[in-house]
Amino acid sequence: MAKTFEKFPGVEWVEGAGEFIKIDTEKCTGCADCVRVCLAECYEIADKKARIVSLENCMECAACWYVCPEDAIDFNWPPGGTGFRSDWG
Amino acid sequence: MIAVMLDEEYDVVVVGAGFGGPVAAKKCADAGLSTLLLEKSGVPGEKVVSGLVIPMYGFLFGPEFIRKGNPPIERPICSVVNRLVKDGEVYDTDRSLTMPKPIALGYATYCKPFCTWLAEEAVEAGAELRTSTLAADVILENGRVKGVVTGEGKMIGAKIVIDAGGTQNTLSIKAGLREKFVAEAIELYMLWDMEMAKEDVDSVFGNSMEFFHAYPEERIGAPLGYGSTFYIFTYRDSIHPGLGQFLISEGKTPNLAKLLPEYFEHFTSTVTRWTRDIAPRIKRRRALMWDVCPIYAGLLPRTRQMPYYGDGMLIIGDAAGFEAAAFGDGVPNAWFSADIAADVAVASVSAGDYSAYFLSRYEELVRANPFIIHTISDTRRWNMRNLLKSRDMAELKRRVRDHWGIGAFRWGNMGGPVYRASMAMIKEKPSVLFEWLEMFQRYFRNWQTK
Repeated sequence: MAKTFEKFPGVEWVEGAGEFIKIDTEKCTGCADCVRVCLAECYEIADKKARIVSLENCMECAACWYVCPEDAIDFNWPPGGTGFRSDWG
Repeated sequence: MIAVMLDEEYDVVVVGAGFGGPVAAKKCADAGLSTLLLEKSGVPGEKVVSGLVIPMYGFLFGPEFIRKGNPPIERPICSVVNRLVKDGEVYDTDRSLTMPKPIALGYATYCKPFCTWLAEEAVEAGAELRTSTLAADVILENGRVKGVVTGEGKMIGAKIVIDAGGTQNTLSIKAGLREKFVAEAIELYMLWDMEMAKEDVDSVFGNSMEFFHAYPEERIGAPLGYGSTFYIFTYRDSIHPGLGQFLISEGKTPNLAKLLPEYFEHFTSTVTRWTRDIAPRIKRRRALMWDVCPIYAGLLPRTRQMPYYGDGMLIIGDAAGFEAAAFGDGVPNAWFSADIAADVAVASVSAGDYSAYFLSRYEELVRANPFIIHTISDTRRWNMRNLLKSRDMAELKRRVRDHWGIGAFRWGNMGGPVYRASMAMIKEKPSVLFEWLEMFQRYFRNWQTK
């Protein structure tokens, strides 16, 4: 099963991706760099820590992983055949 | 020594069926090696996002099967049009980089059909393609790569693992060979796929693509304005407008989530080239996508010094930092490095020696390639970013011409490497000249008659 979102036409997400990005709250300082680079609005800051709201619009670009100065974000690919896909990339 | 129970064994496992992986897999299979090509997505190329015009030097000097084959091409790009924008108006247009048809500077293509075509070629040669399969980890024995572990936990042994995992590559990090790229070298780009009738793309753009350069206050290019541009890649019956920005600029992370869409909206509502010539012909916004790519990885010592091989492993393409700082397009370097890696893997299997010492031949050959190191060390784009701060309009015009226009073929830029590579190939096989001409004609005809 794949889903699409009105805000992001031409893109699908194949179900089963799960929680492939995790935050180490011990390391996170709440600097919000992840919020600033995430075009999918996956992150929010709550109690001075980054928190993943939802990965359902995530295009797996890993900008958050690259930009995190504390190395608090653990990026892994979702399981094979799941997650973001597009015919128009 | 840790004894690992393997579920399967191959001579070579290639991880990633993007642009480089299938090229390496095909060459290994052609040489008779048992070769497995792993791809995490359901169909090769469907996770790859790119406004993509593959530069012509990749086709001329890359794998012969691509040159002689008929890959799916969306539009031959024969001209790069550079527009300088002020107050929403184009005040100068540089068309100095134009080739007579059918000679193309590059070929626009969608990633999914192109990567699928490459993967089919690898399969045709005897490689096994396994899609929807993530290479989640490497099998390590005493620090040596001995294979990969799939997302389902299957242990696949390999004499050589060729890592073609792309920008967000995690496998060679898990192998202890590399670190993730520094954020200063990573660009986040956002692009749209917009449908337009082929006749409209033909009349508005022809066989050209367009770049728009402007000072930061125009708010059309990168949010911080330093060196990126607004671009329009043209396809058969669609266009890819887009823009990008580095994750860290001058020590800070800009609010890209807000700025990239804002700059796009600003460009499309104020620049008359868009509002007058392009917007009325757009049928619909078909897709919106984004991704990151390494651009200055070759200019930053920390990234440049990371190894691209180790015991039992060769790393190619974007995963090795082989982008192209000047063009922002790593496909030719993915092809060159895939070709070299396959040669080294074949020699390694034949010698029964998979050590880093033996595989260091890969680094020697990468360094001897006329394009790879040259293109990742290119500082023109970096210099452009500084130039935009200088406010010298005449100098900006000159640099745009020198970098994105005809100056791209100056001796010190691409002219020298292209000349040297051409001479080397012609010396080896004079008939390659006809092969090149025939390729340009055939690609153009394929595109016209599709």
